[in-house]
Amino acid sequence: MSNPSEHATTQPVLLRWAGYLPGLALLAGVGLLGKLLEQTINGYCKAHHILFPNIEYVLWAILIGLALGNLVTLPRIFEAGVSTYEFWLKVGIVLLGARFVLGDILKLGGISLILVVIEIAGSLALMLWLGRLFGLRPKLASLLAVGTAVCGVSAIIAARASIDSEDEDSAVAIAAILALGAFALFAFPMIGHALHMGDRAFGVWTGLAVDNTAEAIASGAIYSDTAGKISVLVKTARNAMIGFVVLGFAIYWSRQGLAHKVNNKAAFLVEKFPKFVLGFLAISLLLSAHVFSKPQVAALGNLSKWAFLLTFAGVGLRTNVRRLFDQGIRPLVVGALGEVLIAFLTLGLVLGANAIWGV
Amino acid sequence: MPNPPSRSSLARSLTVDTGAVLLAFLLAALVRSGLVKTIPW
Repeated sequence: MSNPSEHATTQPVLLRWAGYLPGLALLAGVGLLGKLLEQTINGYCKAHHILFPNIEYVLWAILIGLALGNLVTLPRIFEAGVSTYEFWLKVGIVLLGARFVLGDILKLGGISLILVVIEIAGSLALMLWLGRLFGLRPKLASLLAVGTAVCGVSAIIAARASIDSEDEDSAVAIAAILALGAFALFAFPMIGHALHMGDRAFGVWTGLAVDNTAEAIASGAIYSDTAGKISVLVKTARNAMIGFVVLGFAIYWSRQGLAHKVNNKAAFLVEKFPKFVLGFLAISLLLSAHVFSKPQVAALGNLSKWAFLLTFAGVGLRTNVRRLFDQGIRPLVVGALGEVLIAFLTLGLVLGANAIWGV
Repeated sequence: MPNPPSRSSLARSLTVDTGAVLLAFLLAALVRSGLVKTIPW
């Protein structure tokens, strides 16, 4: 038998851990339901030849979470587990490092690489400028900038944790990116055909301009097999920048807080610096050093996706729609306007590079 | 202006971050050793 003092110290810990289970089950249930909806609807539309945008599970999970969190008063028993979604976010980001080899960027031609850097710099500058123009909160503008510049939802989620932004901001930014990504699936191939773009140029364009990786690759593949492959390469180059861009924003916002509040700059930077970014970079380095085999990389990618599934469900469940609408329609307008401008900017870049160097 | 972070929030942030990194590396080690199979996505 355990002695009383041991019982007193272990029981609260056990109870506390058990207290997470209902919320964790809710996160998993919402995420899996979103995945089921994606598969069911896409399968039905494909079987019946219905032209319908491929809406990723992410959007369904967020919508279900929003409905549950705002239309139903959830018992408090779920709170502890649901609040762990940020933990799963960070686990997912670290594991995501296994999908981004820094050396991948070298596989691209020099011209494509230059275009990627210009796109990221231009998108960041444009979205931050639009955010200021429309009077968005600076952190929301940062999230939109990161989402449009790098890799959509993953980048927003990564930046959201790094800069400690509001849940509503990330939900709005994610919704805008996903809605525009679904639109891009149809619009980009139509524009490409209208302009008689070559496969390689079109692949570079979708890799540069479409934010979510799945939609970027799908847009390229809709056009042609070659365009799809080029799109994967260019998009991978953008994705490889996620750590650096998030790192830049984390340092920027740390310095913003530092200027107002903290005397000990080193301690503040150490405190504010997202430790999971180091984990992300460490896994990337391990991948670059060939520590993992291909099947192991695929397995780590799977684990990352499962962790993000819990995260996306939590984003919806923890978002207060009333406060979201208090913020107005400006974020969505900024997102849409920015996406259109970036699409034209990158189209001009690709066509120009194609005319000069034959991309 | 935001309040300066308290010691408890710092501790919580460090715990969550460190815990997430440790769990991720534990999972990576388990995957590499072949001890666990992941559920296909």
